[in-house]
Amino acid sequence: MKSVYFIILAILVSVSSITDLNCQSFGTSGDKYDLLTRPYNKRPMTLFRGQLQGNAGYKFAVRSQMFNSDGDLIFLKNNGTGSVYHYYFLRVRYGLTNFLEFGAETNFLRRGIRDATVTVVSTTLTSTDRITVNKLTESKGMGDIFLFTTLRLPVEYRWFDLAIRGGMFMPSAKYETQKPTNTVTTSLTTSDSYTVDLHYNLKNGYGVPVYLVAAASKLSVGRFTTEAEWSMRTPMKEGKNINWEETLAEKVFSYYDKSYSYLLSNTYNLDISLHYQATGWFNLYLNGSSFRTKGGWTEYWGNKYENPEKRLINIEPGFELQISPSLTVYQIAGFPVKGRNCDAPFYLFTTISYNLFPFLK
Amino acid sequence: MIGYMRKIIIICLLLLTFSSGFSQTEKLIVPSDLKQQTIVTEPVTLRKGFLRTGILIDYRVADRFFNKAGDKEYYRTSSWGSKTAYGITIQYGITDRFQLELITEYLNTLQEAQNTEIDAITNESVISVSKQKGLGIGDSHIALEYQFVPEKEKKSSLTGRLKLTVPTGNKNPTNIKSENQYDLPVGDGTYAIGFSLSARKVLYPYSFSGLAAYTYNFKGSKIFNTVDLIEREFRFGNFFETGFTGNLHLNEWIVFGNKIYYYHEGQGEIENNPSQLMPASWALSYEPGLIFQVHRFRLGESVRIPVLGKNVPADPLFLIMAQYIF
Repeated sequence: MKSVYFIILAILVSVSSITDLNCQSFGTSGDKYDLLTRPYNKRPMTLFRGQLQGNAGYKFAVRSQMFNSDGDLIFLKNNGTGSVYHYYFLRVRYGLTNFLEFGAETNFLRRGIRDATVTVVSTTLTSTDRITVNKLTESKGMGDIFLFTTLRLPVEYRWFDLAIRGGMFMPSAKYETQKPTNTVTTSLTTSDSYTVDLHYNLKNGYGVPVYLVAAASKLSVGRFTTEAEWSMRTPMKEGKNINWEETLAEKVFSYYDKSYSYLLSNTYNLDISLHYQATGWFNLYLNGSSFRTKGGWTEYWGNKYENPEKRLINIEPGFELQISPSLTVYQIAGFPVKGRNCDAPFYLFTTISYNLFPFLK
Repeated sequence: MIGYMRKIIIICLLLLTFSSGFSQTEKLIVPSDLKQQTIVTEPVTLRKGFLRTGILIDYRVADRFFNKAGDKEYYRTSSWGSKTAYGITIQYGITDRFQLELITEYLNTLQEAQNTEIDAITNESVISVSKQKGLGIGDSHIALEYQFVPEKEKKSSLTGRLKLTVPTGNKNPTNIKSENQYDLPVGDGTYAIGFSLSARKVLYPYSFSGLAAYTYNFKGSKIFNTVDLIEREFRFGNFFETGFTGNLHLNEWIVFGNKIYYYHEGQGEIENNPSQLMPASWALSYEPGLIFQVHRFRLGESVRIPVLGKNVPADPLFLIMAQYIF
């Protein structure tokens, strides 16, 4: 009997030694590795104390359709006025404590929207003159700098979290509309036929400080998590911008600018997402996003006109993939479902996130 | 005494059994492991008897282009174009150094334009809309690849590739209803032969490679004008391309790919005369991407961003790749 115990003991000792080597081990709770590799369903809504996160993203949107004021879908590509939208963004966040973080964000965008080409034809007994007008409205430039802070429940995250966020878009961007760069090209075959290319140059940025307030909650049950966030943006005050007018005489453009006032609309966003943590390093999710603007006005020729109300609902499937403890990739695809007075682009948004604890060894 | 000895022997045997867990062992490479290598660690050509199939989807819209002066500008008229190609590839390792590859693609191209014409005298307006679609199997390619210098430790490989293009796609516009209303061709309508040399060096977790290729286009004939519908003899300009690739393992199964790519296409000719329809063009692009190796599956996505160019599209090209090795 003793020998049996001895053999069993020997087996247990041997096996336990081996399993120590081979089994998956978790980092000590709270160490740097553990914090950096914490999956989405086990992570609070703010960064950990001392954690620094840098994000760089690119959004490519194909604006081939839009919703009109009645909510009907208009296919822009059918009349040749589809366009694409390039949006780059940078965001830095830092966890001051385990429940308080600060961050800054900015962006750069570029897009060009074509209007339908119009040709005016004048036929006489001796000749046919054609004047073709193309119109392109280009928007390009750096956006405002957004400074924000997020506060969450001051308890360890287990299955529920609540956070509030507040911040302000500082009017750092060169938002004033630039002078148009219109051109006239005379036809090589008919002297009175020519093409007018109207090229308007808009910039990025609000032009006035804009406040943002947001509230969010997160609930995890096993591998599933649901998160909801509501946010509102509202301008601090009225703004002023320039409207360029042009006259064409003898195929030469002359321009003059005119100042106008505006009040930005309030913007409301609601995001509700359902996440599935497939493995520790892969999170799959489906987000429903609702966007709405209300209020605000723009001055035209001395009169103030109310901004049209915009609405858009998108469905966004996406994933979060942890490549290494420091590096994570996020990607979502956006599909417009319903809207009003709003572009309805399909888009892909890819973000690379780099995380580190600069002051923790 | 015998019983005691027996116990000692049993314990020693057990310890010996588990001691393999501690000792240093040489990993046995089996074919299934070889089929799970990443683009950094696998050889340039497939091993003997290995078969790999794949799908490559690329998507591009027509929004901006590099003009003949090399400046990037928007298409000015109200027009919209997009092109999606679904490439299908089959690769087979004839020997450890010699590979055969078959490539074909299914194309979906779209061009839509609208013009409103107003008569200045009668003030009447006519809106003309053109919608052109091209759907179908495009051209196909057969490629033979041979490692002149196989990759060994601390040495680079040198590989040659011979590619023949067969015009399997429809070269002429079809379903012609008017000058602007017809189905686009999905093939180039010409044979071509190309040869490339590439060198690669693996310095784990990195791999670096360089490539130079030249393609000669043979003469062909096709319809260029949907009004006269006459097939004219033509020849595309020859094609030179070169590139440098630097790949990096982010972890054991994800590779961050980087590619700098340049090509130049010579001026094309119609009936032995230089044609404005086929101007000389070139582009320099940068292509970052992520390639995931999940057992025998390989998934990748990348975006080719034109940085400089002349007479070429300036919009990014999105690429998604899926491969499986048998």
